[in-house]
Amino acid sequence: MTAYVNPGLSSLKIDGRRRRRNGRSLRNAAIVFITVLWVLPVLWIMATAFKPPSEAAGLALWFKPTLSNLFASFGVPYLLGSRLLNSILVTAGTLAIAIPVSTAAAYAFSRFRFPGGSAAPLVLLATQFLPPVIIVIPLFVVFRNLGMLDTRLALVIANLSFVVPYATWMIKGFFDGLPVDMEEAAQIDGASRLMALWSVVVPVAVPGIATAAIFSFVVSWNEFFYALVLTRDHAVTLPVALMSARSEQGDAWEIMATMGLFIIAPMLVISRFVQRYFVAGLVSGAVR
Amino acid sequence: MPPARSSGSPSAPAAAEDEALPVKDRYLKYALLAPALLVCAATLFYPLLQSLVYSTQDWNLGRSPAPEGFAGLANYAALLRDPDFLGSAKVTLLFTLPSVTLTIVVAMAMALLLADNGRLQVNARTLLVIPFAMSPALIGISWRFMLNPEFGVVDAVVRRFLPGLSPVPILSDPVLAMAALIAVDVWHWAPYFMLTFIGALAALPRDTVDAAQVDGAGKVRIFFEIMLPQLWPVLTIAILLKTIFSLKMLDQVVTMTAGGPGVATDTLPHMVYTTAFRFYDIGYASAMAWLLAVVMMGLAMLYSRFVMGSSK
Repeated sequence: MTAYVNPGLSSLKIDGRRRRRNGRSLRNAAIVFITVLWVLPVLWIMATAFKPPSEAAGLALWFKPTLSNLFASFGVPYLLGSRLLNSILVTAGTLAIAIPVSTAAAYAFSRFRFPGGSAAPLVLLATQFLPPVIIVIPLFVVFRNLGMLDTRLALVIANLSFVVPYATWMIKGFFDGLPVDMEEAAQIDGASRLMALWSVVVPVAVPGIATAAIFSFVVSWNEFFYALVLTRDHAVTLPVALMSARSEQGDAWEIMATMGLFIIAPMLVISRFVQRYFVAGLVSGAVR
Repeated sequence: MPPARSSGSPSAPAAAEDEALPVKDRYLKYALLAPALLVCAATLFYPLLQSLVYSTQDWNLGRSPAPEGFAGLANYAALLRDPDFLGSAKVTLLFTLPSVTLTIVVAMAMALLLADNGRLQVNARTLLVIPFAMSPALIGISWRFMLNPEFGVVDAVVRRFLPGLSPVPILSDPVLAMAALIAVDVWHWAPYFMLTFIGALAALPRDTVDAAQVDGAGKVRIFFEIMLPQLWPVLTIAILLKTIFSLKMLDQVVTMTAGGPGVATDTLPHMVYTTAFRFYDIGYASAMAWLLAVVMMGLAMLYSRFVMGSSK
C-alpha cells in the first residue's frame, strides 16, 4: 500500500521496484473488484427497469430496452405519479420547516450558554440512537385519534423527529467554526443580535446549512418505516410503494425496479455532494 | 461555572459576555431555541414518555380505542418469560455481532486500499458511496429480487458456474437468510465507515510510520503495531455507532425477509413492529421497545462520553 511508503525511500531499494509494481497492479485489481461488487447491483436494478417483464428474470445481459414498465408504473394500481408527488411534498415540507428551525437552534446552542450546557445538543443527537419503533407507536395513536393517519402532514411531523436533531447538530458544528468578530462588529454598528444573525452570519454559514439540507433531503426522501406505519393509500411515498409491487398477483420486479429508479435518481444527481456530506456529516460531526 | 463548550471554540467569548447583553438579546436565545424545542417536545420527548406509560398498561388497540387498565410491570415480567421475545433477542445478537465485526473489518480494508488520492481511488470512492445513498427499503427489496431462486441474478450466476448447487433457496433457509441479511448490511454500511477511516488514516502522523519503515518493518506489522493503536479512538466510536445502527436496523428485515423464514430473522425491532401494528398489542410492544431502548441508551451514553472525551 503505497499510501504509507515514503517516496524518498523508494530509490534506496532497487530490487524492490518490480515487486512494488506487481503489488500496485494487484491493489488496482482489488479496487476495481470492490467497486464492481458495490456498483453492479445498483446498475442491475436500474437496467431491470428497462427490461420487458419476460426478461426481468435471470441473467439477460442483452435486452431490447423498453419504456413499457414506465407507463405501467404510472397507471393503476401502482400510481407512481401520486407516490412521487407525495414523496416530493413530504420531503419539501420537512425541509421547509426543519432547516430554519434547526438553523435558529444551532445558532443559539453555538453562541449562548444554557442550563445543561454543551450536553444539550448531544442529548438531542443521542435520541436518534433509540429504535424508531419506540417513537412511532405513540405517534400512530395520536394521529389516529386526530384522524390524521394517511396524511402527508402527519409524515412531515414524524420526519421532523429525526431531521431536526441531526440538522441542528450539523449546523451547530459549522457555526462553532465561524469567528464571532463579524457579529460583534455588526452589533457595535447598532444592529441587533437578530439582525446580525440574519444579515451577517447566515450568508457566511450557507455552505454548512446546505450540507445539513442535503443530509436532511437524503434521509427524508429515503425514509421508509414511519411512512409504512402512518400511511395506507393517499399519502404513500415511493419507498413504501415498493411494497405494492410485491403483493399484487406475484412480484412485479420490473415495476419495483422502475420505482427504484425514481428513488435513486435524485441521489445520483447530488452524488457529488453526497461524499462531501458523509465526510462532513454524521460521524465526522460526531467523531470530531 | 462550567466551560461553555468542551472544544474551546470561538463561542467561549460570546458566552462570557452573556450578562452584558441587552435585555432584548437575553430573551433572543430562548426565542431562537423555542421552535426546535417545540418540535422535539412534540415528536421526541412526548412519544418517548407516552410509550413508557403504554408499557405499563394493558392495551390491545384491536379491542379498545383507549388503554384497558394499569398493568404495572406485568408486561415486562411477561416479556422476560416469553420464549418468542428471548428468541428474538438472540436473533438480534446473531445479526448484530457479525454485522458490526464484518462492517468494521471490510471498511478498514477498503480504507487501506483507497486512502491514496490517485485517480482510480478518488473515482472508486465516489462510486462506492452510491449504494449508501440508496433508500434502505430499496436495498432490501432489490436484494430480495436478486436472491430469488427463480428470477434472481445470484442464482443465475450460480446456475452458470456451479449448476449442481442451483437453485439456492437463500431467503428460505434460516441460516442463509440471516447470512444474506448480514452481508447486505455490510454492503450497505462499509462504504460509509470506509470514508470515516480514510479521514482518520490521513490524520495519522507520518513520522512513526516512516521510522518503522526505515527499521525494515513490514506493512502488516506497521499496520497492527503502529497504525492500529493510534486508530483506537476512531475505531471505538465507529464500533459503538455501528452497534447502535445494527440494533435498530429494521427496513431491510421488513423488505427482504419479513422476519422469516419462520422467525429466523425476526429481530427485536421487527418483533416490536409486528406486535404493535399486526397484533395491535400496544402495551406489550411498548414494553419490548423500552427494554431495547434501555440497552441502546447505555450505548448512546458511552458514545457521548467518547465523543466529548475525544473533542477535548
